Amino acid sequence: MIELLLIIFISFFLGLFYSFLIRKFSARLQWRIGPLIFMYKDLRSIMGITRIIQPLYDIIKLFGKRTIIPESSRKRLFIYSPYISLIFAFTSIFFIPFSSIPLLSNIPYSIVIVSYLLIGSLLFMIIGPIASGSPWAFIGVRREAELFLVAEFSFIISLFSMAISKNSLIIWEISTKEFNLINITAGLLMFTSILGKLHIKPFDMSEAEAEIVAGPYTEYSGKLLGIYYLTKIFLIYDFIALFISIFTPINTLPIYLSIPLFLIISIFIIFILSIIHVLNPRYRIKNALIWYIKIISILCLINIIAMVI
Amino acid sequence: MSENIINRIKEIYPNGLEYKISGNWLIIKVKPEELDKIAKIMINLGARINHITAIDLETKGFEIINVYDITHANISLDNITNIIFKANISKIKPEYPSIGKITWQAVWAEKEIKELLGINPIGLPDSRHQFLPYEWPNPVESELKEIPEVNINGNYLQLKMPIKEAYQSLIPIGPYHPGVIEGQVVYVKVEGEEIVAADIKTGFHHRGIMKLIENRGYNRGVFLAERICGVCSGAHGLAYITCAENLFDIEIPERALYIRTLLAELNRIHSHLLWLGVVADVIGWKTGFMYTWGLRERILDIIESITGNRITYGIWRIGGVSRDISQEIAIKAKRAIEELKEEFSKMALEITNHPVIKSRLINVGKLTYQQAFNGGAVGPTARGSGWKIDVRKDNPPHAIYDQSIISWEIVTDEGCDSYARMIVRIKEVLVSTDIVIQCLDYLSKRSGEIRTKVKEVPSRIEAIGLNEAPRGELFYYMKLYENNNLLQAIRIRTPSYRNNALIPLMLIGCNLADVPVVMGSIDQCLACTDRIEIIRNNHREIMSWKDLVNLSIKMSKKKGLL
Repeated sequence: MIELLLIIFISFFLGLFYSFLIRKFSARLQWRIGPLIFMYKDLRSIMGITRIIQPLYDIIKLFGKRTIIPESSRKRLFIYSPYISLIFAFTSIFFIPFSSIPLLSNIPYSIVIVSYLLIGSLLFMIIGPIASGSPWAFIGVRREAELFLVAEFSFIISLFSMAISKNSLIIWEISTKEFNLINITAGLLMFTSILGKLHIKPFDMSEAEAEIVAGPYTEYSGKLLGIYYLTKIFLIYDFIALFISIFTPINTLPIYLSIPLFLIISIFIIFILSIIHVLNPRYRIKNALIWYIKIISILCLINIIAMVI
Repeated sequence: MSENIINRIKEIYPNGLEYKISGNWLIIKVKPEELDKIAKIMINLGARINHITAIDLETKGFEIINVYDITHANISLDNITNIIFKANISKIKPEYPSIGKITWQAVWAEKEIKELLGINPIGLPDSRHQFLPYEWPNPVESELKEIPEVNINGNYLQLKMPIKEAYQSLIPIGPYHPGVIEGQVVYVKVEGEEIVAADIKTGFHHRGIMKLIENRGYNRGVFLAERICGVCSGAHGLAYITCAENLFDIEIPERALYIRTLLAELNRIHSHLLWLGVVADVIGWKTGFMYTWGLRERILDIIESITGNRITYGIWRIGGVSRDISQEIAIKAKRAIEELKEEFSKMALEITNHPVIKSRLINVGKLTYQQAFNGGAVGPTARGSGWKIDVRKDNPPHAIYDQSIISWEIVTDEGCDSYARMIVRIKEVLVSTDIVIQCLDYLSKRSGEIRTKVKEVPSRIEAIGLNEAPRGELFYYMKLYENNNLLQAIRIRTPSYRNNALIPLMLIGCNLADVPVVMGSIDQCLACTDRIEIIRNNHREIMSWKDLVNLSIKMSKKKGLL
């Protein structure tokens, strides 16, 4: 029971830390400074000692702003969908094991529950903007939905190929079984879907500000936008924790080994994501779909071969 | 010799009232009714319109001035580079046959004449406002008979849209949009994400610089000219003094010419680097943006060490330049430029071979050679379509651009798309660094005068000054009063003025994601384009955009541009 309370704080702060890391790594790779780890001495009295939780400060700032609800929007859907999205993302943290701690992941069908929750969270990130009535949001949402479909495809295939080959629908059981070839091939498939779901650079066309202003979030402001930001914090944690617990043999290790390993692997994944983010311009949605279909079909074939073996 | 030239032009156009040669220009007075016939003759000969403008001669009426560039035409008149046709019209009935119905190059210029002076070009195909708001009623636009009622309560119109049109939605990109830093609107009609129609409206900057320069004297005008644009300030300064020196007809010391070339080319390098950064940002590549702007910062440091300023140089003077370069600075600057060239060539290879950048730029914003030629594209936009046009060679400004003294070449590319325009600009940066290194070599080895005294009275009554700005051909025209030596009018035509007029053409068939790329690829500088006052009013009007968009498409088709 204590774990379930602790995981709320752990996941929240890890999510903040990961989004800080993406910002810091990409800033350093782009010859910028980024959010400071140690604040300059003369500014410490005003700015605090560190800015590692800069993403949290951004959210707090948004909560202090006025929330504008456009006349042309479907108000109920517009207001509630950020909250529903947050609830889905937040709930899924309990069903994903955190470094040798099973939490609720050993209940039956937990893999199905997690995939539903994650899909639901992303779905309400799409539905809310549709209700806003802005043309920019429509175009952004259209792109987001197209990307969602292809990224979801590889996400589901990767999860359930693991489930079939390990002969279980319980995440905890899948994660504690022995490591073999399918972990690598399905892991690659999952990685491609994370690129699309977290809007890492060649796939950030739904938020392309030079083209469609703020994309889906054009009409969102204040608290509602803050809620979406919060959702993203939890989603980053969700995807990375799910990736590590399913595709690496970390949950078989004792807890004093697995927690530092979890951190190291997750920072490594964030580092790779940042490099991809920095090195690439943004694709057109058409190119992105073609890229996804090509890569997914190749990876799926390899995956099937690995499953047979 | 001059008689020989006049005889030859009389074979082409015999009906002129008066033929005169002044410097490199042939000035012909004509009847206003014949302006469209002349345009037809000149366009058929392959001449290019520099600019069309009109001047208010107060009690004497208006003077219409058509300037043609014949350096690429099928006529050779020895050293003549431009032909100026002038026609006087009365103020009682200010009309003349429109040139816009013959060539697209004149449309924006004629709209400007119509808005500025109230002259009516008969048969102008697109009579909408270019710089004033569309809703702006009489007296300038006579078509709009009634002033629409203002509806404060805002009764919303019922949407009545046929199903066929419901698939299309109209998206205004601008006036203020994160993809375009300055104010302008590009209306695009999209089906899904594919653009089926596009239109452009400018006029959101409010300065009236041409009028300000007129009252300011020759020497002070250059500082204002530099402030037309923050990026190509050097090019504007050089074009202004070229024009003013043509009025006075003076010789400039060699060292000053070298310093001018040096600054103009440094200006080009920093402008192109800035452009590369903007395009990288527009396609979502923040890393490229940071890197190119980092390189640009070094160029600005060099400029600062030479002139004392980073953006507006303020050293252009009629008869020379105001500051010399010391030997030390020249040597240091040379070293810095050489380092920069090495780094930039490495980065250029990375950029041009990046698969995602290629997929975003190749075949986006197609502009064929014929379209560029007919539409009057200038600068890298024209050179990216394989047209070898460069003012530095055709009609050089008062600086050293003689290819026998300084080795440089005009860069062209046959790709006709945004990628080709990028290649042209990248190669131009490398060519410019070569020119800069040669200039610094000269400046570090020799010394001499940098400024001559200017005569008190101008020796000509009108003059043209051209310069190749980073974005293309920059055109200055000055005219003095006939009985004293004061400036009566100055006309400025910037490169973006021409290239912007081609944007709707390049957009059709593109993806919505490509709109900022296409707009970026011509390196538009809107601060340059809008030099005219706009007046705000409280009228609100629901416009039928469909009609406006269709009108522009119809006109383009009529001109053979589509």
